[in-house]
Amino acid sequence: MQEHILSILIFFPALAAMLGFVVHKDGAKAYGITVAGIEFFLSLWLWHIYDPMVSGMQFMESAPLVSAFGINYLVGIDGISLFIIILATFFTLIGILSLTETRRVKDMIITLLFLEMTMVGVFAALDAIVFYVFWELSLVPMLYIIGAWGGPLRIYASVKFFLYTFTGSLIMLVGMLFMAYFYYQATGQWSFSILEWYRLILPANFQMWLFAAFFMGFAIKVPMFPFHTWLPYAHGQAPTIGSVILAAILLKMGTYAFVRFSLPLFPDAAVAFMFPIAILAIIMIIYAAMVAYAQEDIKQVVAYSSISHMGVIILGTFAMNVEGISGSVFLMIAHGVVSGALFLLVGVIYDRRHTKLMSEFGGLASVMPRYATIFGIMMMASVGLPLTINFVGEFLSLLGFYKQSHSYTLVAGTAIIVGAIYMLSAYKKAFFGPVTKEENKHLKDVNRTELLGLIPLVVIAIWLGVYPKPVLEPINNSVEAIVQLMHDKAQTPEAQKRIPNLATTGTMNSVSEAH
Amino acid sequence: MELYLYTALFSPLVGSLIAGLFGASRKTSFTGLLTSGLLLTSFISSVILLTYVMAGHTVHVEMMTWIATGDLYIPFGFVVDQVSVTMMMVVTTVSTVVHIYSIGYMSHDKGFNRFFSYLSAFVFSMMVLVMSDNFLGLFIGWEGVGLCSWLLIGFWYHKESATWAANEAFIMNRIADLAMLIGIFMIYWNLGSLQYDVVFAHISILPMPVITWIGIFLFIGAMGKSAQFPLHTWLADAMEGPTPVSALIHAATMVTAGVYLVVRANPIYSEIPDVGNAIAALGAFVAMFAATMALVNRDMKRIIAYSTLSQLGYMFVAAGLGAYWVALFHLMAHAFFKALLFLGAGNVMHAMHDELDPFKMGGLKTSMKWTWILMTLASVALAGIYPLAGFFSKDLILEVAFVEQHYILYSVLLITAGMTAFYSFRLVALIFHGDKRHLEHGIHPHEAYTFMLYAMAPLAILAVISGMVFKTPYYLMVTELLPAVQYHIHNHTTFWIMTIGTQLFVILAIAYAYKKYAKAVKVDKKVESGFFYQLLYNQYYIPKIYDEVFSKPYLQLSKLAWKEIDLKIVDAIVDGIANTIYRTGEKTHTMQNGNLSSMLRWMVIGLVVLLVLAVAFTAGYNAVNLQAM
Repeated sequence: MQEHILSILIFFPALAAMLGFVVHKDGAKAYGITVAGIEFFLSLWLWHIYDPMVSGMQFMESAPLVSAFGINYLVGIDGISLFIIILATFFTLIGILSLTETRRVKDMIITLLFLEMTMVGVFAALDAIVFYVFWELSLVPMLYIIGAWGGPLRIYASVKFFLYTFTGSLIMLVGMLFMAYFYYQATGQWSFSILEWYRLILPANFQMWLFAAFFMGFAIKVPMFPFHTWLPYAHGQAPTIGSVILAAILLKMGTYAFVRFSLPLFPDAAVAFMFPIAILAIIMIIYAAMVAYAQEDIKQVVAYSSISHMGVIILGTFAMNVEGISGSVFLMIAHGVVSGALFLLVGVIYDRRHTKLMSEFGGLASVMPRYATIFGIMMMASVGLPLTINFVGEFLSLLGFYKQSHSYTLVAGTAIIVGAIYMLSAYKKAFFGPVTKEENKHLKDVNRTELLGLIPLVVIAIWLGVYPKPVLEPINNSVEAIVQLMHDKAQTPEAQKRIPNLATTGTMNSVSEAH
Repeated sequence: MELYLYTALFSPLVGSLIAGLFGASRKTSFTGLLTSGLLLTSFISSVILLTYVMAGHTVHVEMMTWIATGDLYIPFGFVVDQVSVTMMMVVTTVSTVVHIYSIGYMSHDKGFNRFFSYLSAFVFSMMVLVMSDNFLGLFIGWEGVGLCSWLLIGFWYHKESATWAANEAFIMNRIADLAMLIGIFMIYWNLGSLQYDVVFAHISILPMPVITWIGIFLFIGAMGKSAQFPLHTWLADAMEGPTPVSALIHAATMVTAGVYLVVRANPIYSEIPDVGNAIAALGAFVAMFAATMALVNRDMKRIIAYSTLSQLGYMFVAAGLGAYWVALFHLMAHAFFKALLFLGAGNVMHAMHDELDPFKMGGLKTSMKWTWILMTLASVALAGIYPLAGFFSKDLILEVAFVEQHYILYSVLLITAGMTAFYSFRLVALIFHGDKRHLEHGIHPHEAYTFMLYAMAPLAILAVISGMVFKTPYYLMVTELLPAVQYHIHNHTTFWIMTIGTQLFVILAIAYAYKKYAKAVKVDKKVESGFFYQLLYNQYYIPKIYDEVFSKPYLQLSKLAWKEIDLKIVDAIVDGIANTIYRTGEKTHTMQNGNLSSMLRWMVIGLVVLLVLAVAFTAGYNAVNLQAM
């Protein structure tokens, strides 16, 4: 079973979804919980049997698909993908557990299980074509969730979501085909294996073009400024479960792909584009935070806050050192947990009041104290308070980029200020002050079903903030391998200077060792 | 000793968590008693640690790893040395007193349990702040006290002013925290560690500009917590919180965290005396600046808050001039008498039904004899009259400025000392002497619960004796770690002239305050409408300027960014580009018709085409291969 654990993880939900068609609709939710539960425990088992000391790929499986073009079903995980996969299975479970949707529950469960397959598939894929297929397939269930269960503008939102991401990924596909072609030219063999691509050293000017092509696909998914405008629409219209999965997992595909493809494949181009991308990241951080501050709808605040946080992740990724990249991968997990929880929380109040406008609330802290407490904890995690999960990632990302540029980091660091501004003012509007609206006076506090989803998230947000080691250590080991690979491949003097050589970083340690 | 360390550190956390469980339930005195008891435990452990440290030992433990990646290694490490044990004593003493006092003060509040949960959480954060053995550990406590401060300022969250003040405090502190983070980044990338002992041992090998920047950034961080100009406005607004909170957080402990940071990082600041001078200059400026605002204010708690600000300025003068032990000593003495003053103000507020304007009080000494005595005592200590605590600590700072030949600083501080005496006794005179103006408002004051007065007693005793009794043993202990510099004016005549002169000056200021306010209060309309009075009364218009220059434009700009830039420009441009591309092919027109099922169809078609191509290529490739064979 161990050898095929990844294939089981990928296809079990899909098979279960197929079987789900024959399940009676009253039992659909229980069925979904069972399947997602098994899947989640399988992913935990994966973590258990994963060797954190090994930096390379583990549990690799390979089967030829189109052998003439070197397209293989190739999957494997390292410390970077492991936790995003667990996050994906975890959120599918949490999402189904706390599902309050009553319309066509069975369809929803089946869609979610299909989505789970594509998510696990994307993060486990080591063949570019397999990656691409899962990447594109993940659009379908999400499109369906927004389009079928969304708000009044759902069709516009889902089409926008689709067109943006699809355009980006087509350009990415072109990049992948060219990459395979260059590989063919260099070696005389076709291959779409990412691991084989890693070994290829491309001339710097080729790297620029390919980097740009991949960038389009990833940047739209993240979403990076100025390609972010699909996100507020998607979140605005998506049902709670859609927003949770979208924010927690789907956005991470973009940032994950930067770490998996852009950095190790094109180290020279990545360094060359470092500062332009850092500028985009800084715009994301500050601009999205300002837009979040101006929102009237609490869900939009969380949506724009996602963009702002993704800016910090991008910055950490392009720090090109272990501290920054480990931090950004950790922040992917952290942001998944926190933004997922915040969207769930917004869903709680939406279910009760069928509005998300903050002006409709006020004084909720006295009516729903438990809800206010959990929201408060998650808000503080989002703001990046130490001992919460976000701080570790945010701190490391900024720390990493500081090595590259003092002034950029100083500007990007305003994330901790602007983040506090929009979050605290939103919290104040919704939870503080007197209860002004009659219909808010007797709102029920969070119920058991909702707590079932929220409590684990609170526990994780604090646990990994206090003790990030179980997650950070495997991430760190795999990131070290990537950084070393980038350093070894770097050709331009700029890249050689910017990417540290871990094999000989004795200088940094000298002081600590002297101690 | 490790056991005592952990007990001292974690008792407040345990109390906070247990009280938190009852946060949403009805008031139970149990939570108050439990948290107070645990605080007392923490206090006793700190005392044991103090005796241990005084015997010349230190305790250093590493509990577990926190963050480790790349070359970065940050543990949860705690150190009890001469400096941290001093802070621990201050924190646990004042917080135990405030906890017990609050059982009475908050007894009618329905958020009683929640209050104790927050208050104990604050103490825990503060203990982390002072006990950490590295900069990032300090930052945990730093942000933790910020969080608790936010929770407690906005404790009465139904009040708009309270929640506004809470957010202001948090955000303004965050601005400073960014600078602190940058300082931490600089330390890490230059020295490869954030542990105090490693950093301090190697700081001198760094180039001068780097040390200077580290010092500046860390100090900006300190300016936020310690509310130094221009990040000072939050402190006065923070008085919206319950008064015990003001006593503990916004007078005795949290606001002194900045001073603690500079004292703790003294090996860094010793390398950069120019930055130290700038700190001292800013401190002196703030001391006077805040004192002037206290002169005319009509809000009892704000007056004390400005006084705190002013005293923090004194501490920074000492720290900036390299007299770290003096700064820490004044920090300690100030914590005792200022907390006492605030708690006294709390009694008055209770008696006055939360009235804060001293001009509406008067003559309370008959009905609140003990509060009167305690507050007078605290004010005498604050004014620096021999032999109370303030005389030993505050006058020492004056001497430091004099000995270091910073005569301008000395004069500023001397004048400020006069102002301090004046506004302190203006307040005492207005509240406790003169006519009973409150009778007009139908208020019949009563003394606080006896146990609240007993709770205040330790602070009163400390305010009296801490200068006289503790100075020598404190000096001997703390100079094991801090630079041992004695500040003596060698010329005896100068020394006596200065000491007696200062005392006379202060006493005159007190007498003037009594004369002006102890009998009938005459309001001089002409003075009050004057420019200076209005300037001071409106806090130099700084809150207004901040509002106009920062808050409002930021909100407007944010709205502009959303409604104009995001919704119109960015979205429209990207949509426009997409539309142009799609319009180039007429057949793709159907893709935009917004029909979901047609969208899906397109995708399926795309996928099928892709697969067909792949299969066709494979077949073709195989065919070619076969031919070749």
